Amino acid sequence: MDAVLNSLCCLMALGSSMFLWRTPRSVFKEGGLITLYLVLFMTFSYLTMEGSDATLEYLPLRMLALCICFSVTSIRSHKTRYLVMAQILWLWIEFFGGVSLVYRGLDMPWTRVIAIGSCAAGSVFMNHISREMEFILMVYWIAIWMFF
Amino acid sequence: MYRIPIYIGVVLLLLGATAFGVSLWEGPAAWHTDMRTLWGTPIALFVLWIGLAHAGTLISAIFLALGFPLDRRTSMIAELSTLCSLVVAAMFPLLHLGVIENFYMVIPFLDARGNFANIRSPLVWDFCSIAVYAVVSTIFFVTHLLSEKREPLKKMVRPMSWLLFPLVLWVHTVVSLDFAVTFVREWQGAFFPLYFISGAIYSGLALVIILLMAEHCRVRLLEKLMLALSWVMAAFWLWEFMLKGTFSFEVVFLGAVVPQLLWLRPIRDNSFVIMLVAVSVILSLGLERYILVTPSEYNVGNAFGWVDLGLVVFSLGLFVTLFFVLRVKLRKPLEGDDVVMGELSVQDEEKANPVVGELSNNFHLLRLPLLVGFLVTLLYVLWAVSVVPDPMISLSVANIAPLCLPLLVLVATVTLCAKSFWQVLAPKAKYVLVVLMGVAGMLVGMFWAGGSSAAAPGAVSVQELATPKPAEKIWEARCASCHGRDGLFNEKFVREFYPVPQKLSLERLDSLGMDSLVSVILNGRINMNAYGDRLTEEEARGLVFYMRLLAGEGK
Amino acid sequence: MQALAGCRRFTPDMSTSGPSLEDFVNEVKLAVARSRSGFDLVQIPMPSALKTSGGSPLNRFGMAIDLDACNGCGKCILACMQENNVPLSSKERRASGQFMHWIEMRGGAPSMCFHCGNAPCEKVCPTGAASHTPDGLSTMMYKRCTGSRFCGANCPVGARKFNYDDAVKEGLSRRFNDQVPLRSKGVMEKCSLCLQRLQDSKHSHMAMLPGMEWRGAGVQTACAVACPKHAIIFGNWLDPTSPLVKAAKRRNIYAPAEVADLDPSVVYLRGNR
Repeated sequence: MDAVLNSLCCLMALGSSMFLWRTPRSVFKEGGLITLYLVLFMTFSYLTMEGSDATLEYLPLRMLALCICFSVTSIRSHKTRYLVMAQILWLWIEFFGGVSLVYRGLDMPWTRVIAIGSCAAGSVFMNHISREMEFILMVYWIAIWMFF
Repeated sequence: MYRIPIYIGVVLLLLGATAFGVSLWEGPAAWHTDMRTLWGTPIALFVLWIGLAHAGTLISAIFLALGFPLDRRTSMIAELSTLCSLVVAAMFPLLHLGVIENFYMVIPFLDARGNFANIRSPLVWDFCSIAVYAVVSTIFFVTHLLSEKREPLKKMVRPMSWLLFPLVLWVHTVVSLDFAVTFVREWQGAFFPLYFISGAIYSGLALVIILLMAEHCRVRLLEKLMLALSWVMAAFWLWEFMLKGTFSFEVVFLGAVVPQLLWLRPIRDNSFVIMLVAVSVILSLGLERYILVTPSEYNVGNAFGWVDLGLVVFSLGLFVTLFFVLRVKLRKPLEGDDVVMGELSVQDEEKANPVVGELSNNFHLLRLPLLVGFLVTLLYVLWAVSVVPDPMISLSVANIAPLCLPLLVLVATVTLCAKSFWQVLAPKAKYVLVVLMGVAGMLVGMFWAGGSSAAAPGAVSVQELATPKPAEKIWEARCASCHGRDGLFNEKFVREFYPVPQKLSLERLDSLGMDSLVSVILNGRINMNAYGDRLTEEEARGLVFYMRLLAGEGK
Repeated sequence: MQALAGCRRFTPDMSTSGPSLEDFVNEVKLAVARSRSGFDLVQIPMPSALKTSGGSPLNRFGMAIDLDACNGCGKCILACMQENNVPLSSKERRASGQFMHWIEMRGGAPSMCFHCGNAPCEKVCPTGAASHTPDGLSTMMYKRCTGSRFCGANCPVGARKFNYDDAVKEGLSRRFNDQVPLRSKGVMEKCSLCLQRLQDSKHSHMAMLPGMEWRGAGVQTACAVACPKHAIIFGNWLDPTSPLVKAAKRRNIYAPAEVADLDPSVVYLRGNR
């Protein structure tokens, strides 16, 4: 996956994250948005990636995880809890997707997994997340996408 | 009120028991399998029921952990359904095995003979995750049940729900990896973990909705969640179609289209129709699991037969009977003194600590258990890696990591609850507990000893090996007269009386091969007598080696 | 009846009970007639030493099947059945074209377990019954098998056979060869590259020629000996004097696309005859 495509993925995730978790919240609104984004990301992945590349299989989910991570920074109450959960979701997708690919002969993306894991572990100890901290986190996540 | 469901359950159980009995007796040949469809209905049922178990934990543990208030009765019913689903689910992997009595060999621990299970295999991770899930769910259920009356247990519930939360998701992820690590086209998918988890929660929500209906109780939040999840599942099914071209009309119709009926007010107000919609969801996911486990391109043998149907009926009957019997037996503790509303302890807690750090209260209680759990897991991993008996096996982190969380959660749960439980238990119960621990110790000892040492029936005996000296003597006694002491033929004798024997050069010996040479010695050949009545096969083999020596091997 | 060359224990007057030799011959004929479609073949380099750290630097046993010589007669299948006491299949399975034969005909040529160096079946066996020897054989420990069939599901070419039936009880098996055990119900089996012959050779070699390295010279699998066209060649990939290496050196080496990346020990030969 070259840098241009990766940055496109980040842009799409960022753009879609703006609409999640806005008040008034309803199960249907959030569920519907997540489904819409999933379909969008799936179509995007299908059209831009080679069918034979097995990492295509979880690309839409990775994009969704990034989108959720971005969106969680806008939540007011219990922010740390949701931030940790969102990053763990992303870690989950990367790690277990990676395990299944290892058995099919590909390599596990260790740098990515360790980067996300350490960020998630560090977020546990963040009591008060300022806007600057949010921004740093978002840049870090984009860096993971672009370079790892 | 519960008599009718119990009667229905028992009838289904009895009907299905025949199929279960046949499956136990005949083994995997009884249900829909063949040389390429090696997995079948039991595995599909296993995945379905494990999935159904998840919503119970989702509703009780996860909602509790996240602070969504749900009344006690709903959560207790959800937890009970988890336990009953787990009992049903656990029977099927055992049924699926060809040699059921060897099931203990998948436990990843060393036995006295140095046997160690293959921890690279997702089935080993499966076994550990589900065993720990069953144990911890039971402890959680009992704690929650008894916590109304007993103080020390009350503060255990929330921390335990935080431990159970990742375990639940881990279990179904590992189940999905059973499929996702293979080379079977239909089973491949790096997206499977999340796909399976969504499907599990979706079907589980439907089950809990049905069970609540039986209590004449409706929780709107669950119905809304189910509808929202139907969209997410539709997205996943779209992705399956895009990637692999698999599409099943029944699955998508029952699972994504029918639930949309809930948008219509008249339908939403009719609880019976909602129950039908929930049944349709479970049916859709059951079908989806079945289609996944038996990939159509391989099916050449018989189709879904009466035994397969019987197993489905059996699982349903067992669940219904178990659930409603326990529901009746545990009526008092389940419903408690305050039947209608509120996990008051949760809301009180929230109000009392608005400024303290996020997870600190629960985290405080969990610190020691987590630390102990982490240390034990680390020790186990280091030990397991060092003790793997086969140098041909190379282990990587990806092979071992899926074993870690279940072990951590088990140790942490036991550490967390041990003291409170000991305080709370009646003396009689304490004796029972000690006896149970003794039994557990005995089972560990039996595992350590390993299975029987008796040889398999029809085992092969090893003959005495040939050695150089006797071979030389046999050669000189029997073979040298024609073939010569040095392997070249005895010219004078042979030319006068017999045709010339074959050349015994190394290339020729190689091309003929050990076994045909042995066969010639034993059975004879044109112009050569059979020696089978005078020599054993091992002696004949020794002679062949001796021939090679004469022909110059090793020079 | 004339014995097939190379079947060690076959003598004309077998007094053991069980189905007759004719039943076996007929089943093999049926299997050959129902030969499945051939593989997509991909060219691969000559197999060399195993990549795992425990692999032996001296021995890696394997086979080569010469597609230009093979005429699809099926004698290899019958020889294998007799050498390894492979049972017949039940009537229903026979009717749907499924057999217990360790060798199957694919596109008119024999195919069996390819003894992959990086075997997917061994990775997923929960008990460790499917393992790899240092000298390159993918082996099966029947007593350690719990019948989960994960290995069979994960074999990309479907080379593994599961004992759905108790062959002895159903009268489907015959103990042609005393040296090979009969498998019980519920375990997986597959081509073992006539491990018993290799074992015999090794033990005799160690007794007769102590101090010399055993390279498996002179050992032939039952199928290799039985082939009238000498299309199956068994040997040691790491021994330059082995007939296998000599035969494969000047030919083009192929493997099915599904296993080409898994470092197979059993390969196909074509061209440059």
